[in-house]
Amino acid sequence: MDTKDQHGRTRSSSAGQVTQVAPSARAARSRKRRPHLLLAAAAAAAFTLTAGLATPLNPAPQQAQAKDDGKKTLTVAVAQSVDSLSPFLAQRLLSTSIHRLTYEYLTNYDAKDNHAIPAFAEKWEPSADKLTWTYTIRSNSKWSDGKKATAEDAAWTFNKIMSKEGTATANSNFVTNFKKVTAPSPTKLVIELKKPQSTMAALDVPIVPKHVWEKVDDISKFNNDKDFPVVGNGPFVLDDFKVDQYVKLKANKNFWRGAPKFDEVVFKTYKDQDAAVAALKKGEVSFVAGQPALTPAQANGLKGESDIKVNNGPGRRFFAIATNPGARTQDGKKFGDGHPALLDKRVRQALFLSVDRKTIVDKVFQGNAVEGAGYIPPRFSEYSWKPSAEQELKYDPKRAAQLLDEAGYKKKGGKRVGKDGKALDFRILCHATDPNDKAVGKYLKEWWGDLGIGLKVNCLDDVSVPWYAGEYDLAFDGWSVNPDPDFVLGIHTCAALPEKAKESAATDNFICDKKFDELYEKQLAEYDPAKRAGIVKQMESWLYDSGYMNVIAYPNAVEAYRTDQIKSLTTMPSAAGNIYGQDGYWSWWSAVPASGKSSSDGGSSTGVIIGIAVAAVVLAGGGALIALRRRSTAEDRE
Amino acid sequence: MTAETADVPAPQEPENTREPQLPKEARSPRALAWTRRRHSAARFWREYRTHRAGVFGLAALVLITLAAVFAPLLVGADAQSVTEAPGEAMQSPSGEFPLGTDQFGRDLLALLVWGARISLTVGLLAAFLSVAIGTVVGITAGHFRGWYATVIMRVTDWFLVMPTLVLAIALASVMDRSIWTIVLAIGVTTWPTTARLVRAQTLAVESRPYIERAQALGGGHGHIMARHVLPNVMPLVLAQTTLVISSAILTEATLAFLGLGDPTVVSWGGLLQDAREAGAVSAGDWWYLAPPGIAIAVVALAFTLCGRAVESVLNPRLGVSR
Repeated sequence: MDTKDQHGRTRSSSAGQVTQVAPSARAARSRKRRPHLLLAAAAAAAFTLTAGLATPLNPAPQQAQAKDDGKKTLTVAVAQSVDSLSPFLAQRLLSTSIHRLTYEYLTNYDAKDNHAIPAFAEKWEPSADKLTWTYTIRSNSKWSDGKKATAEDAAWTFNKIMSKEGTATANSNFVTNFKKVTAPSPTKLVIELKKPQSTMAALDVPIVPKHVWEKVDDISKFNNDKDFPVVGNGPFVLDDFKVDQYVKLKANKNFWRGAPKFDEVVFKTYKDQDAAVAALKKGEVSFVAGQPALTPAQANGLKGESDIKVNNGPGRRFFAIATNPGARTQDGKKFGDGHPALLDKRVRQALFLSVDRKTIVDKVFQGNAVEGAGYIPPRFSEYSWKPSAEQELKYDPKRAAQLLDEAGYKKKGGKRVGKDGKALDFRILCHATDPNDKAVGKYLKEWWGDLGIGLKVNCLDDVSVPWYAGEYDLAFDGWSVNPDPDFVLGIHTCAALPEKAKESAATDNFICDKKFDELYEKQLAEYDPAKRAGIVKQMESWLYDSGYMNVIAYPNAVEAYRTDQIKSLTTMPSAAGNIYGQDGYWSWWSAVPASGKSSSDGGSSTGVIIGIAVAAVVLAGGGALIALRRRSTAEDRE
Repeated sequence: MTAETADVPAPQEPENTREPQLPKEARSPRALAWTRRRHSAARFWREYRTHRAGVFGLAALVLITLAAVFAPLLVGADAQSVTEAPGEAMQSPSGEFPLGTDQFGRDLLALLVWGARISLTVGLLAAFLSVAIGTVVGITAGHFRGWYATVIMRVTDWFLVMPTLVLAIALASVMDRSIWTIVLAIGVTTWPTTARLVRAQTLAVESRPYIERAQALGGGHGHIMARHVLPNVMPLVLAQTTLVISSAILTEATLAFLGLGDPTVVSWGGLLQDAREAGAVSAGDWWYLAPPGIAIAVVALAFTLCGRAVESVLNPRLGVSR
């Protein structure tokens, strides 16, 4: 479920505090808005007085790190806000990561190779007709209030989601095909299906304690953030939460897999990545989440620091350009104002043909990404797909020009003009707070400008409004992909389209195609992993040809931590992978505290920031003074 | 000050044509007026020259304006292109790139020169818009008095107490991202000071006897405001404009820095925003941060110096101490 929250639309939300609660949307496309606006404004002015950089004042709050009674605390700097702490509602990466840590799921993914391993369930097996799955629930797991965790809890959780009383916001794709879920005994859970479903060992649904949650009046409005500590049975227990400040977890000493080594994990909100990096340098935080990824300059700057390790592993995400295929509702009603030229496959392909993915990886990501091809990142090797040489849409502006000519968009005086005499001008939706969107936008503008296509880069804090309304031509898009690709494929099916125009829906990009839907049904019902992978690859091939989703790159997860606070932790996949936002709780559960306490060296950058702040104050004061004097002179005037 | 000295900097009769070389006795009144203006312009310049700071400001402005106008010749037309970027990302200053490169490998010196165009254009347009709104509001409020003035001055007060930046951010974030949005956002949020100043001056001018005479001779509202009040508030407006420009440039940079500008055009504030987003602050890449910041400060300072010099030339009562 981690997928949901993140990128793309959500990549957006990565930086932030989203306004939208996304009733049924899988991912909030919504946006961040920096609360630092004003502060930053002052800082902006301050940059003008760069002399301020030298100001050695250092009144910065340094108390961040908990230093009491030898408690071992791991502080994680995150940019995202929590949308909800209820497992029924949460969709963002931060919230779902917290659920991974505080609740158990039926199964977990192995840190090495992503295969399903026992968690809440010890083992699971399908019946001969593939329609009934029986899970054996472990008997050595206890809720944090001392009650035993049983199959009854799991059955109650699934039934609650299936009841759809506003409870299926986060996990509906797993249960739509469920017929009945029962718990014949405390250790036995039986799920009956309408049709075979291949994701039964990858049900990313947090199991909640029935005895606590059945007392909740309205689950669709309950955010699970009032009564601390929150009862759970994961490796950590949710202990405290302050909106946009921190989420505190304490170790569950009775966790069945073994107690975590850290006593406390705190997710601290830093809306500004550079501030988070400065805090890491100072030792105020132990870890900076690569969400959004550290910029190359930040990563290079950190590599030179002692006691800091930069982790640069293959990411779970793809970074793509989505083209609006004509927004419509489930019953075929069209809405939105996508450019009609994009209904022509040749135009869509021409756009992609004129994007030099290698340059983007080299220049924008500076090598911290893998060149894009199929829909699923190469990290998930069984499902990832690459086009053959003749299918591949390589960077080829000449062929792109030719395709546009064929489609009837001839070049007249440097501009492509359609048969209706209108110039070919597109808008692209970009996340205002994502530097990569803006940077790639600059390249697109030039490449497409050479072809004679105009581009307006429309950067918004909240892209969800025009997105749901279908009022875009192109958009920067991206999702984190799970080990099981069902979810990221499901968002391109007709069933995901909105019921009413402009309503939020599970759909990513309004794609609705019969062939794709058939393949989707087929892969969902296919129990043989190899055959299923084959079908998934066919789907990727179709998506690639369609030109609806042009995957440009798979950005790496670039994150950093202090080695004098964290001795070691597990990446996922363990050979080379990410730390924050895993499909499991491995990183924080396995993290080993370093013996020495953090050596706090007055980071120069904090000095810089403070210098800037001081300069801002001086500047603002000076400005005010001048204004006052000016006014006084003006009033003296006749 | 009187109407005679006042109309120097901004001749209110642009249709005037120069009629030179006529014998002195044959000069038309128009030519006489023109000569008079030329004389006072010369006088203005003589006095302006005595303000050393003002001359420095003017020299800096001329230099920067020239650089901005001739940017394509100075640093090349494709300096903003990311696909044609000549260097590697984030190179520190060297012989080839005196101010280093940005994250796309573009020459920062060239970007700085190009950025001057946007910063100056937006600053000037926004300042003119702001001063124009302020002048119209101020003159009409001063002239009509009564309920109209009360209402419009309360509106002015409301805008005056609203924090400009917050209002501008709100405007810029609901509208499209383009330089016109920024111009508009700054223009419609910074006019109240001008309006108050101009209204005060209008009241002072209108209390003079010759306005009464003009009214007695049949001068209507339009005539009084355009032919008598406006020329008299013009010096004030002019001085105000030069001062507003510097704050407009600062606001433009601020908005661009906050990511509210057009991301595809290069401006100084935008450069700072790019630098911050690229992580130049924590990486310590000072050459990316310092030059645009200093440039903004220099231009704002230059306009302020000029503005103050103009102000004290036009209003000798301000004295030499200023």
